[in-house]
Amino acid sequence: MDINGRNFIKFQDRLNKYDLQNSPEAAEKQHSKGKLLAWERIQILFDEGTFEEIDAFVTPASIEKGFGRMTHTFGDGVIIGHGKISGRLAFAYAQDFNVMGGSLGAVHAAKIMKIQNMALKMGAPIIGLIDSGGARIQEGVASLAGYAGIFYRNVQSSGVIPQISVIMGPAAGGAVYSPSITDFVFMTNKTSHMFVTGPNVVKEVLNQDVSFEDLGGAEVHARKSGVANMIYEDEENTLLGVRKLLSYLPSNNLENSPFVSLAEVQRDTDEKLREVVPDDTNKPYDVKDVINLIFDKGSFYEISELYAQNIVIGLGRLDGKTIGIVANQPKVLAGTLDINSSMKAARFVRFCDSFNIPLLALEDVPGFLPGIDQEHSGIIRHGAKLLYAFADATVPRITIILRKSYGGAYCVMNSKNLGGDFNFAWPTAEIAVMGPEGAVAILYRKELSESEDPAKLRKDLAAKYRSEIANPYIADEKGFIDEVIDPSITRKKLISAYEALENKHVSVPSRKHGNIPL
Amino acid sequence: MKINSLLIANRGEIAIRVIQTAKLMGIETWVIKTSKEPNALYLSAADKVIDFTDHAEDIPEFLDIEKIVSAVKEHNISAVHPGYGFLAESPVFAQRCEDENIIFIGPSPEAILKMGNKTIAKQLARKHKVPLLEGSLGDVKDPQEAREIARKIGYPVILKAASGGGGRGMRIVENDGELEKMFKMASSEAAKAFNDPAVFVEKYVRNPRHIEFQIFGDKQGNIIHLGERECSVQRKHQKLIEESPSAALDKALREKMGLAAINIAKSVNYYSAGTVEFLLDSDNKFYFMEMNTRIQVEHPVTEMVTGLDLIELQIRVAQDEPLPLKQKDVQCNGWAFEFRINAEDVQAGFSPSLGTIEKMSLPRSKNIRIDSGIQEGAVITPYFDSMIAKLIIHGENREKAILYSANALKKLWIKGLKTTIPFCKAVLNNSSFKKGKYDTSFLQSEMKIHYFQDKDAEMLAAFFATYDFARSLKEDEDKTVDFDKGKNITPWILNKRLKSR
Amino acid sequence: MRYTSEKALKDVFIACGEGKRKFEIVNPLDENVKIKGKKMDIRVFEDPDGFSYLIWKNHKYQVDILEKNQNKYTVIINGVWYYFSIETPISYKRRKFLIKSEVSSKTERIVAPMPGKILDILVEENTEIKQGEAVLILEAMKMQNEILANITGKVKKIYVRQNDSVMKDDILIEIEKF
Repeated sequence: MDINGRNFIKFQDRLNKYDLQNSPEAAEKQHSKGKLLAWERIQILFDEGTFEEIDAFVTPASIEKGFGRMTHTFGDGVIIGHGKISGRLAFAYAQDFNVMGGSLGAVHAAKIMKIQNMALKMGAPIIGLIDSGGARIQEGVASLAGYAGIFYRNVQSSGVIPQISVIMGPAAGGAVYSPSITDFVFMTNKTSHMFVTGPNVVKEVLNQDVSFEDLGGAEVHARKSGVANMIYEDEENTLLGVRKLLSYLPSNNLENSPFVSLAEVQRDTDEKLREVVPDDTNKPYDVKDVINLIFDKGSFYEISELYAQNIVIGLGRLDGKTIGIVANQPKVLAGTLDINSSMKAARFVRFCDSFNIPLLALEDVPGFLPGIDQEHSGIIRHGAKLLYAFADATVPRITIILRKSYGGAYCVMNSKNLGGDFNFAWPTAEIAVMGPEGAVAILYRKELSESEDPAKLRKDLAAKYRSEIANPYIADEKGFIDEVIDPSITRKKLISAYEALENKHVSVPSRKHGNIPL
Repeated sequence: MKINSLLIANRGEIAIRVIQTAKLMGIETWVIKTSKEPNALYLSAADKVIDFTDHAEDIPEFLDIEKIVSAVKEHNISAVHPGYGFLAESPVFAQRCEDENIIFIGPSPEAILKMGNKTIAKQLARKHKVPLLEGSLGDVKDPQEAREIARKIGYPVILKAASGGGGRGMRIVENDGELEKMFKMASSEAAKAFNDPAVFVEKYVRNPRHIEFQIFGDKQGNIIHLGERECSVQRKHQKLIEESPSAALDKALREKMGLAAINIAKSVNYYSAGTVEFLLDSDNKFYFMEMNTRIQVEHPVTEMVTGLDLIELQIRVAQDEPLPLKQKDVQCNGWAFEFRINAEDVQAGFSPSLGTIEKMSLPRSKNIRIDSGIQEGAVITPYFDSMIAKLIIHGENREKAILYSANALKKLWIKGLKTTIPFCKAVLNNSSFKKGKYDTSFLQSEMKIHYFQDKDAEMLAAFFATYDFARSLKEDEDKTVDFDKGKNITPWILNKRLKSR
Repeated sequence: MRYTSEKALKDVFIACGEGKRKFEIVNPLDENVKIKGKKMDIRVFEDPDGFSYLIWKNHKYQVDILEKNQNKYTVIINGVWYYFSIETPISYKRRKFLIKSEVSSKTERIVAPMPGKILDILVEENTEIKQGEAVLILEAMKMQNEILANITGKVKKIYVRQNDSVMKDDILIEIEKF
């Protein structure tokens, strides 16, 4: 090819035109809104210089009868491609709000589907960076079909490759369902929004005034709806958060998780663990203190931190290997299980099971949250999700009972007979059908009604119950607990237990799929 | 009667303080373990521990008279020291001890009872010609009555809620014209806050100093005073820094006030340690406020200047020994300060700062004394007060004591939570304080900023935060994730995985 | 590479304090860090006792990170705390934009600064209150703490009742700005 020839000039000309789409002026347009260009986001997400773009020069589908005008730009408002994240192959698409508002037309959708197909074929994680005004109205049904195609691929990939959605701008209408199917949703605070129907429609239909932020801001989805798993204050940290999460995950459902060696030698025992759980059974403590003392230093990565805070879920490393953690949080609502916490934990257990991530349950649960509201909203149905998820999981599963373990909640939290592999208890554990006060009221109803000083009798009986029934030793002697352990050796115990379970396999009956109470 | 064994019915630094002296005197020491702090430092300081961790009553362990008395009897302990707070000023407890033949280290139940009742205490003071804040004898029913009293004692006066405290239902009245309005406001505020609209009238002393006298008596009827303490650095009636002696008193005034304090004590045949509190106005007129019938938190400053061990004296007096010294033998040398190091956030209005004391580094020197009930790793909980330590400094004179204090505070490092150390530093830097010219309004009127800030500290803080942020980013970046290890799966498991999908 | 892009998170940071106070810090991990354009010889030490300290101009400053959440820090130097959010040049631009556009938020929430029990609620819904006025009393550490209104406005909603136990950061009262 002649470097000065006609062919080359045309080639160069195209490149120059494409560069203009990412000109400083275009960048400034996004920056002034507190956002980055799609291209800049990709640069941060991937290791330096590893991203390779595909289909950069496609142009929008032509429309027969013009309704509104369309600009002809390269790429049709989305960047797709592959690159390396922490040295490993990953696929991504990034919508570009600067091009037709990042709206989704047929070509745009086809590009996303193309990269979804590739990720699934290659068995590598896929990340979607979403910043789109929604379906491209000019293209009509073609763009709707595009959405459906993306959803279909999301579902096909679910449980095969990790899928992560990062919301960095608006995501409205149909666009919200792709993120909701994917495994994790990241949002950038204050500049990203998700809703099925926007504030204008709410105003029109219900005559209610609501701002974008209050209807579908990151804060709302992280705290109230639980749609957003992670929320960060700016885009750079959001993208670095995605990189961090990926360092815990395998590329696909056949692999095991990656390994990260410890920065410094960590002792297997820690006496501080003996002091975390207070002697007073009604005193709260932070279960995250327990987690941080057991797992590799600084390795705990919490997921859905702000939603249903009475349960803590997240990924941590034990001697370099990824473990999924589900822990009751005594600090919030006394660690009771309610609808939101059951759903939050259930989905996480399913995720871990799909990707061969062993599970650890840290249990301190006084029971399910009582109340009319909970019952009427279907705590039975939703609580069953967590139960189903644990029972259905075939990865190595270990439970440590830290303190309370009462009633149905005992069964749900990965108990031995739900298929848990190892079930350990700390000496502070209380395992029984119900708490002392409740049990005494039922067992000694007659005695209490006849007593002259029922308050004192109740107190005495409760103390007796606590010392005789509500301890880990009965369960231990009957074999429902494998061992009552000294809290200080928990880490050591877990490392050897997971090692023993490394090649665990459970043969499940052949079926299309179970019928989880969704 | 000789004391062989002693239960300290208290916790924290005062328990340790009593144990130290008791051990020197060859007395066996006992303390109570509660579930609220089962690993507290005072437990390891004592010879024996009584376990109250199963305590399930509604009243707190250290207030449960019956339980404490029966524990003392069960273990055959000869005496109880109540410390300060809790049961220290409970006449019921002192009486129960007396009835059960347990030596109560403190004054007689009658003395506690009389001094605990403000009306009786005032009557006694009046009888012994000790000046006090005149006011209504009990509640005032309407503004007219209040006006009559106010005219008699002279303005300004203060209206106070009878069942109140903490500043609510309090109104200062400057003249006749304001009285009716203020009376109504105080009364309605009192009704709202305490469910009791009753108020009383008292002479109001503007910006007084808070001066208290340490007195000591024995069962033989000898009573002496051990000089004064100045406690005017206060916030909402919480003492923060104390000193002895006070820069406001000369020899004549000291003698006069000391005599008044002794007279008050004599009126109830007082024995053991006690503190008589006075207000001192800008004309050096003093008024009796109340008498505390216990050892005080700030007793170490008196010990530093007099060289006496007040706990030892308390124990000796309780053993019926006479005081080993007369008033003329009391020598006060130099100057002493006490700084209360509390877990409080000075920058947020002294609100409590909960957390764990991760590390503590304490200055050491022969003129520094630190009384603390807390060790590294201790958790500051909402159950007890927020005091971490008392830093007590002695110097040859006030200037030197201030200098030594500033140095000691610089070396006192506590990691893990917010403390009042920057506040203490700021006080030491205040020129009015340095001159000794301050009163109880000091915090509000003299201190614009309640904490001491090093020059450039903000810049260094910005640097350190950025340093840590950049370092953790770099650590994440440098971390090598070994993906190949995840791909290395034994064929045994891989085959099964493939088949099961 | 055909594209050039400002690589984010390199070596330039802006530590934003309360109000408009800010420090530009270049190469914080270098020996000669630049603060507000000036080279500074600050050294960070960690002694075996677990204390961290800075040495600057021959003075020793005890330093500790009290709280840290993503890029938000509370740092204590010699007992005095400072709050900073650490920004990059890009996120700093974003921060400025967000502050400017934040006129839209009409309500302020008062949250519990510490765990404790609500002893008393001093205001009612729809009452007007001034900044600095006490709205409720929270008991913690045997102390009654007055919780003060952070803005002047009208009480929109009270989320707690008397004798409720609250956790740190629980929402107590919502105030509507005038």
